[in-house]
Amino acid sequence: MTNTEDCPVLAIENYSLDYETANGPYHALKTINLAIKRGEILGLVGESGSGKTSLAWSIMRYLPTNAREPGGKILLCGDNLLEKSERQMETFRGRRISMVFQDPSTSLNPTLSLGTQLSEVLVRHRGLTRQQAWKEGEALLAHVGLKTPAQMMHRMPHEASGGEKQRVVIASAFACNPQCIIFDEPTTALDVITSRQILDLFVELQAETGVASLYISHDLALVARTASRVAVIRRGGIVEQGSVREIFINPQQAYTRELIAAVPDPAHRLVKDDVVATDEPLVKVENVSVYFGRKPFFAALTGRKMDRVTGNNAINLVVNASEILGIVGESGSGKSTLAKAMTGLNRFEGRIWFDGREICSSSDMDNAYRKDVQIIFQHPDASLNPRQKISEILSRPLKLFGNATDLDKQIGDMLEQVRLPRTHANRYPHQLSGGEKQRVAIARAFASRPKLVICDEITSALDVSVQASVVELLLELQKASGTAYLFITHDLNLIRQIAHRIAVMYRGDLIEVVKADEIDNPDRADYTRRLIEAVPRAAAQYQ
Amino acid sequence: MTEFMKRLLKTPQGAIGILLVGLVMLVVVFGPMVAPHDPEALSPLSRYKGPSLSYWLGTDQYGRDIFSRLLIGARATVVMAVLATIAGTLIGALIGTASAFLGGRADELIMRTIDAVMSIPSLLFALLVVNLLGSSTINALIAVAIAFAPGMARITRSVALSVRKQDYVNAAIARGESSAYIIRREMLPNVVAPIIVEMTIRVSFAVMLFATLSFLGLGAQPPAAEWGLMVSEARRYMHLSAGILIWPSVAIAIVAVGFNLLGDGLRDALNPRT
Repeated sequence: MTNTEDCPVLAIENYSLDYETANGPYHALKTINLAIKRGEILGLVGESGSGKTSLAWSIMRYLPTNAREPGGKILLCGDNLLEKSERQMETFRGRRISMVFQDPSTSLNPTLSLGTQLSEVLVRHRGLTRQQAWKEGEALLAHVGLKTPAQMMHRMPHEASGGEKQRVVIASAFACNPQCIIFDEPTTALDVITSRQILDLFVELQAETGVASLYISHDLALVARTASRVAVIRRGGIVEQGSVREIFINPQQAYTRELIAAVPDPAHRLVKDDVVATDEPLVKVENVSVYFGRKPFFAALTGRKMDRVTGNNAINLVVNASEILGIVGESGSGKSTLAKAMTGLNRFEGRIWFDGREICSSSDMDNAYRKDVQIIFQHPDASLNPRQKISEILSRPLKLFGNATDLDKQIGDMLEQVRLPRTHANRYPHQLSGGEKQRVAIARAFASRPKLVICDEITSALDVSVQASVVELLLELQKASGTAYLFITHDLNLIRQIAHRIAVMYRGDLIEVVKADEIDNPDRADYTRRLIEAVPRAAAQYQ
Repeated sequence: MTEFMKRLLKTPQGAIGILLVGLVMLVVVFGPMVAPHDPEALSPLSRYKGPSLSYWLGTDQYGRDIFSRLLIGARATVVMAVLATIAGTLIGALIGTASAFLGGRADELIMRTIDAVMSIPSLLFALLVVNLLGSSTINALIAVAIAFAPGMARITRSVALSVRKQDYVNAAIARGESSAYIIRREMLPNVVAPIIVEMTIRVSFAVMLFATLSFLGLGAQPPAAEWGLMVSEARRYMHLSAGILIWPSVAIAIVAVGFNLLGDGLRDALNPRT
């Protein structure tokens, strides 16, 4: 290797990237200047569509056919990657530069064992024989903290957990001691506690090998914990870069300040604790269990026992009028299952008391119940029918629950209520941005003036700054209408800001329900404490 | 819409498909008006003639002008095929979407029945229906429509299953919408794209199926100028004049190829990712 200590491993100079589209060229990246030295982690932070991943792919030289590069250089230890042929790049990828992707379940081939995939990298780039590579693979897996590396080598991807798979991916990225590794949101698809462990592993390996790392993320708090320098990217251009301290303490650009302000800070509560717990709560969930799976026909005939998958295990929960109850937990902990049971989308056992009425199954949920209990889903793309205009989407609850007179005026009022222009009624969902779509979904939920709105991860598909404004809107609506929220999320920092009480769920069980400001008490349940510890603290630590 | 046409015309399949189908449609609409001769006028003196200035494609065994017969027969052949496909598609799409929406036992029941029906080849099935109902043009149409419905139902169901999982369907259920509304307004509009593609390709099958039925004497009856029937009747005289057999076959082939290519082009144009 020719590089000396002070020369950057990866240098991007005045690099631009365009995509040819039917409507003319789209400028994905504009004169990017970045440099990463040996042993350094550069965090690249930006919202979705800002060009983060495009940059990663242009460094890897794996661009779609409609990509054009008007100018600039990408230097890896002085070699300009733009001038390399495809064949030369094949020898570079994996050996001198490698990449870790967001979702380990899609970046591993589901039909090959983990060992085969890991040893292939070693056979190809380090010239080892199969046996040597297998041995080396076991050593690598032990190195990334997997308990039983020999068994793990023989497992298929579906036999390993998400965290284990991401460890294998990281092991193969580090396998050939590359000079530079690109991490594209490596923990976004993982649970809070697992992603904390993966991050610790990453920092450890990085310090040990001294590889130059480009860490791409949308989460400023996460980057603050790992990276030494941060570059903020917006609409294809670098807005600001500097050390983590500089960026957080003294951000120069308005956009950076906006980003930092949008990161939820649990110390800054957004609601008043003025909810009175009465003997007559709005909703009382009594021993509600949800099981999945249908008894096969022959099993029913022969009376054979069948193990059902448990989604919720005897949940007991109370929501008071105009209270915000947060539900947190990892993915698969049964948060959404409960929400779907309460809206009649899942069959359940047990009872739900709503406003003094008893609901034993989804057939008990009549029009009045459905009017009072509304649900907002995570992805606004999926929850709004792409073939219907906004006006038709918003007119349905009015026709079902309210009075269908003067629809146009009512729809306009609804749009204004969620701070969208009245003219949006004539648009289709795909003509709106993600945040606008979620506002339409909120407007639809509030059309029937419900008493309880279930928000199922409604902010997690949105960018941080959009998330902040949507949360603000929800709190405003809550203040005006006194609606109770069941706010499901995995973002502990956010829920500590806005909830009155927080329910913690784990693998279908309700662990505990605590007041929001008491969740970091040391006498909480063991799982709650681990969850709190794993959450990246907000930017507050630098202020 | 113009954007869509541009995408369609950009692929060679789409451009050629549009051209051929456009040509066929022109013949369907204006054919009878421009036909130079009466298609059923017999002229015993000019039988088995080759192409000439007055008979562009020659004459058949009764001295009728083949070109005029083709122009007039287009309506019977192509319109019938398109109508039968549309009818079959509508039945199939409704069954498929409803089956996907209902799920569970009902889905099993519907789809296993469809499987059973599909195990009979469509030609055999059409023959069966025509035999039961008697041979006429309308009955042939019904037979083809029924023969097509199970396949369409299965395709629609697979698309509708993924739509069924979308949150806008969940939202509609949680809102308490009726099943009919959800199937008709929330699900069907989102499954049309693949159905349209499949439908276009199936039109060419329908043309051939109709031609086969007529060829076997179970569809249109003489002296109708239906193309399949023309081929069937020409069979016995082909050693006297090959043209009687070739020209209707070419016409059927053009329609089949045109709709097939159009289907391919539509598939690419309707899928924005290619």
